[in-house]
Amino acid sequence: MAALLQLFASFALIGLGAYGGGLVTIPLIQHEVVTVRGWLAAEEMSQLLAVAQMTPGPIAINGATFVGYRVAGIPGAVVSTVAVLLPSLLILAVLVRIVDRIAGSRHVGRVRGGLQIGVLSLILFAVWSYGAVVVTGWWEFALAAGAFGVLVATEGKVQPALVILGCGVLGVALF
Amino acid sequence: MGPFRGHAEGAGLIAAGTQSGSQSPREPDVRLWSLFWVFFRVGLFTIGGGLAMATVIRHELVLRRRWVTDAEFMQEMSLATLVPGAIAVNIAHIQGRRLRGGPGSVVAVLGTVLPSFFTILFIALFALPYFEHPVVAAFLRGCAVAVAGQLAFTAFVFARTHLRGAANVAVCLITLVVLAVFGVHPVVAMALAGALGYLLSDDRFKPTGLDTAPD
Repeated sequence: MAALLQLFASFALIGLGAYGGGLVTIPLIQHEVVTVRGWLAAEEMSQLLAVAQMTPGPIAINGATFVGYRVAGIPGAVVSTVAVLLPSLLILAVLVRIVDRIAGSRHVGRVRGGLQIGVLSLILFAVWSYGAVVVTGWWEFALAAGAFGVLVATEGKVQPALVILGCGVLGVALF
Repeated sequence: MGPFRGHAEGAGLIAAGTQSGSQSPREPDVRLWSLFWVFFRVGLFTIGGGLAMATVIRHELVLRRRWVTDAEFMQEMSLATLVPGAIAVNIAHIQGRRLRGGPGSVVAVLGTVLPSFFTILFIALFALPYFEHPVVAAFLRGCAVAVAGQLAFTAFVFARTHLRGAANVAVCLITLVVLAVFGVHPVVAMALAGALGYLLSDDRFKPTGLDTAPD
């Protein structure tokens, strides 16, 4: 029961902070799951992210379901998934009634501009902290740089899942 | 009928700012089941998270089924990125509500979430024991390294789009230092960035839609 409450609290916090969606969730999950709670080792966390990026659906949902299951079985998976959804569902339910007043507001626009920069800081930090876990040698560095290079060169038009899959195959050959 | 059923009320509130909201020529008769099915398929077949899913949802709702006009969709897309949480789920919530009110938003969100929930559960139940196998471990290690490259790419795209002007660079650096040196919780760092953005910006930030969240 205590584990379920902790899962709920952690993933509600992750859902609240996941501004900008997708990859922004990675530093949040990493912070809560590895640093604060110690539910997963950094190595397991990188496996989780690899799986979450290759399977369909939003990474926040995938991460919540996976970690919830690892910590407390199927009840854990359900609790975490609901918790990660709840903040945005509640906020949207309120905002959708007053959206006309707020969407065009200059004040909201300014806070939002700051949040977007905050997302960038969060991702830069994640590149550093997550990269430090998985890039343990020159081969890893070359592979990560290669993935980055392919995405930049193609302007991200190539399916990210394909790049990840390709690196996985190269990983089998290299590691 | 509930207060949010149908186009006139629920959607009128949302789209009141656009021309399309005042006079609604179409009354899309959307069954809850088809609403669920559309979002379920998007959830099941779209890999790559948020924005990739947004593109497919737009294709389904606007181009293929004509339940929603493009102007309406883009405006609500902006709202979906304005709040935290998975963008695909936010879109499902808003569009489900527009088309069928409260029950519509419930089935649309469920449709989006259930495929990834069951896929991950399936993997956790049946594939997890094999994660220790050397070949699988090497494969996952390669994938994990690629995620690092993908993160760097996302940072690159964000920086190119948003890192304009001294104020933005200052907000970015301060937030980064607070995160890396003081180790504050990311949610706190986000709140700080929002506050700094409010104080330092001179309205150069413009609320935008699709380009704000590469994923």
